Amino acid sequence: MNAETNLSSHNKKLTMTIEQTPKVYRFGESAVVIDCTCYFPQVSRLSIQRKIWWLAERCRLTDEFIDIVPGMNNLTLFMKGTNRINYWLTQLGECWRQAKEMSLSGRNVEIPLVYGGEFGPDLEQLAGYHQLSCEEVIRRHSSGRYTVLFLGFQPGFPYLDGLDSSLFTPRLAVPRISIPAGSVGIGGNQTGIYPASAPGGWQLIGRTNMPLFTPQSPGSPTLVTPGDTVQFIPVASLEFDAK
Amino acid sequence: MTKINSIQVLKPGMHSSVQDLGCTGYRHLGVTTGGALDRHALILANRLLGNSDSSAGIELTSGSVELKFNCDIWFVVTGARYQISIGQRDIWCNWRNKIKAGETLTLRGPKSGMRAYLALEGGIIGGVENGMPETDSLLGSRFSGVLGAVLKDGDRLALGQAGTISKPIGAVPRGYSNEIRALPGPEMSLFSTESKKSFWNTSWQLTNESNRMGARLSGTSLSLLQQQDMESHAVMPGTIQVPPSGQPIVLLADSQTTGGYPKIATVIEADLWKLAQTRPGEEIRFVHVSPNQADDANYEWEQYFYRLQRAIEANG
Repeated sequence: MNAETNLSSHNKKLTMTIEQTPKVYRFGESAVVIDCTCYFPQVSRLSIQRKIWWLAERCRLTDEFIDIVPGMNNLTLFMKGTNRINYWLTQLGECWRQAKEMSLSGRNVEIPLVYGGEFGPDLEQLAGYHQLSCEEVIRRHSSGRYTVLFLGFQPGFPYLDGLDSSLFTPRLAVPRISIPAGSVGIGGNQTGIYPASAPGGWQLIGRTNMPLFTPQSPGSPTLVTPGDTVQFIPVASLEFDAK
Repeated sequence: MTKINSIQVLKPGMHSSVQDLGCTGYRHLGVTTGGALDRHALILANRLLGNSDSSAGIELTSGSVELKFNCDIWFVVTGARYQISIGQRDIWCNWRNKIKAGETLTLRGPKSGMRAYLALEGGIIGGVENGMPETDSLLGSRFSGVLGAVLKDGDRLALGQAGTISKPIGAVPRGYSNEIRALPGPEMSLFSTESKKSFWNTSWQLTNESNRMGARLSGTSLSLLQQQDMESHAVMPGTIQVPPSGQPIVLLADSQTTGGYPKIATVIEADLWKLAQTRPGEEIRFVHVSPNQADDANYEWEQYFYRLQRAIEANG
């Protein structure tokens, strides 16, 4: 082996290592972020997220943070002050190297859904976009078993993994000013449920009457938590609140 | 049964709401921090009354507000300048004043600034009809009670235990400027050189679509070097995100907890209040600062409140 190839293989190895190192950075005055999207698509979103859950749990034990917020294959740690920022900027990468895939003992939650009509005003258009029948879109969407990766955006809003790639659909060019609570939509490569009425640009295919956020509940205030799986059950009708 | 000190809303004004300093610890559930947009104004009002900093008061946004009192009690109005009166008697902002049972407090404005804070001795502790908030679930009490709710005609708000104030006292508020200090955001480098320059060097107009979730700005359109999909990350009040329209949005207390738009900068905590006090149509500028300068700015606020506390103790 001559020196040149040796060097080039060394460089290649080096590049791989650089690519495979998550970004750790300060966000605002008192937050630190670790971003692990560099492993995707070689590693699945779910596998990366399982390590994010592990890291979140590990950070929770330190009692140093006022909020620990997982995002899509990333984690943000909010601190009270700025004293420990530099410590965590160096420590977080170290913790990541120890991270294991955590399997949260998730429940399977079945969510009844009325597809189409006034509850899913974009279903027909979405089916047309994919050159599928509405029935086929419903079949594909409701046969998926989706894993809750994290909660965010609104109280109780689950980011779901596992949408059939044949249903990936661009967001609406002009977002709706108000989407009714319980609406289920597709936006890009994601499907999700709006817990409360909100503005939004996802294509709406159905609606559920299951509350996703009940703050007064003595148990969990959210219907689902990370690690749970969700299945949509097509039903002919549901009773919706008048509001 | 002892009488509960309370106030009755005769006129609610526009978007008036009961606010404290919000809460942390629930962002992983998608629950935002909430609380007063101009935190310093609410703290100032509470300090002048001997309340805890986080006592709930009323955030006023615009219009005419009338409140009737069932008790003799001290109150303070801080933040935006409102025209305040009790009957024919005019009341100063940033001073504590006493109102008597049966009298009506009228607030009209704002004459300058955007949001005023009415704090009351003892603080607002709940709605009279709904009873007191449940204390066993912090999250439950934040969503079931009056906290964060928009005031309506006829609402009755219960007040906590009054203290032992005997004389008026006032404070000098810190001056407003439209220069808002910010740190570069995680995705600053993804923007074109031109856009980076425009962000710091041009002025931005606050639009009518602004609310407690975000201050929406209009100005030069900002663009990325190349279009790219971003994954959702945690965001926070002060985060400046740039949606495809190229017009930045500064997230405020009621913002979502995660977002997928590129984040060009973060307003420093010490200057977030300025966004609460900018009116639609007014212009702001962003000033690039370092994390150390952000620390210094927080320290200045600490000093302000330290001096205020000393003055209150000496004169109170």
